[in-house]
Amino acid sequence: MGQITATLSKTMKEFLRQKTVLFWTIGWPIIWVLIGSFSFTANAPAEVLGYTRGAISISMMVFALMTAGMANLPGNIAQDRERGLLTKVMSMPVSPWRDFTGRILALLAFSVLSAVLVVAVGFACGASFFFTGVGFGAALVFVLLIFVGSAGIGMLIGSFVKHVHGAIMSGVGLTVVSAAVSGVMTPYQYLPSVLQSFAKIYPIASANSAITFLLVGEDYAGYNPLGIGQTVPTAFFALLLFVIGLIVYSRFCWKKE
Amino acid sequence: MKEVDLKIGNGEFYALMGPNGSGKTTLASILASVKFPTSGRIEIFGRKPEAAKSITGYVPQENFSSPLLTGEENLMYFAGLLGYSKRDAADMVEGLLEKVGLREDAGKRVANYSGGMRKRLEVATILFPGLKLLILDEPTTGLDPSARRKFLGLVQGLRSEETTILLVTHIGADAELASRVGLMARGRIIAEDQPEVLKKSSGLENVVNIETSIKNEEVAKLLSSFSEKLKVLETDLGYRVFTENVEEATPKIVRALDQVGCKVIRIESVKPSLEDVFFKLTETSVREVG
Repeated sequence: MGQITATLSKTMKEFLRQKTVLFWTIGWPIIWVLIGSFSFTANAPAEVLGYTRGAISISMMVFALMTAGMANLPGNIAQDRERGLLTKVMSMPVSPWRDFTGRILALLAFSVLSAVLVVAVGFACGASFFFTGVGFGAALVFVLLIFVGSAGIGMLIGSFVKHVHGAIMSGVGLTVVSAAVSGVMTPYQYLPSVLQSFAKIYPIASANSAITFLLVGEDYAGYNPLGIGQTVPTAFFALLLFVIGLIVYSRFCWKKE
Repeated sequence: MKEVDLKIGNGEFYALMGPNGSGKTTLASILASVKFPTSGRIEIFGRKPEAAKSITGYVPQENFSSPLLTGEENLMYFAGLLGYSKRDAADMVEGLLEKVGLREDAGKRVANYSGGMRKRLEVATILFPGLKLLILDEPTTGLDPSARRKFLGLVQGLRSEETTILLVTHIGADAELASRVGLMARGRIIAEDQPEVLKKSSGLENVVNIETSIKNEEVAKLLSSFSEKLKVLETDLGYRVFTENVEEATPKIVRALDQVGCKVIRIESVKPSLEDVFFKLTETSVREVG
């Protein structure tokens, strides 16, 4: 059992044992899948009902991934710092990179679990998707980009916001607001033009549109997010957020005074 | 910290005692390689603190164990950080839990532990084999008397020829367990010796310890007239009066307090403590911010 496995196991157990984490990351998106599938789509024509429910499920899956990265990760980092665990770990022969890798792998495992559960409930509610091998594979790449971008933002919050509740609330706030104004929780077509531009730059929103485009069609995505001029910036900005988050985390959270 | 010159011998139990803000936690943090010194030289068994991490065990002031994990899971996490395989770690963790008296509670979440149990669990994180310097920063703060006694018994049990212990505390009774005590104030070590030697050399022979129904400026001022050797020291439950002749002073103190409407709950003549010695040297209580 190495340092990575030890941190992964500890962090994963903490995620799974916190009722608030479970509720906001898994419970809340599932509630919206249920509400969206049976209430908001009540008058939808039968031929589009399944795909509409599919689009709702994708949005909520993305919301779950965002909450995990942007609220749960900084909450976990701030918790460890506030209770002195980071101080304790810094006094041990532990590599910051291994600590980081363990945390990120735990977050990845938890995010995958959340995403699978949300989509499974969507399926159970009658969501339909286009399933092609290439489309599904490409969608997974965009899921990974959402995870990476959210984790980057989470690390930034965790590094700068020192208190647990502050870190969690900042993460939740940023998740909700950015999801609302970027087309993750509201249809892209209904956004004002300035926010439509933002939705194309904000990698989490553009990756959400890409998944929606791949799995339920352009009508639900609002635009074609798969052009090279769109996918390259999406990947670039998601990775950039991650790298900046990583540098800030290793500098600020493991900084000796 | 200024001009701190401290040598702790191999196998020694050393207590660093001082008020909050005196620099003792900073010194412990530097030794534990959590903070950098701005100048000066530190060696732990001939190595720089950063290179001595593998032989230094540090228990910071805060309760760092995860309340969401069980006692056993917490120790398994630290065993993993130290690079033990799962099988080796499992055997070792069982032994450590036994050693700190938590074997029966190993499967309980730490959130359900008492303060004393949690502190004992955290001490177990520095009992893995190979650690030669154990640093405990204010470990008994916040513990009730019974948990504190139990905890200090555990720390006493850690003494061995191979293990050097540094206990950072502001509680005199805790420091008295050590073989040598350094008194720290305003970033300097102002006195250092065996506890008994420190007490003898202070020149304080008898102290009157009084528990009173009221604690205020008037009572303190009144008691000052009986304290020839030193100012009156305020304690949690009353005062300590430093007088030459305890037998003569005691009934007078009771009468005088009675006249101002202050009841004496308990009055006794006691030997001076390390806290009294600190007070004598600095005219500041070790419980105050230094």
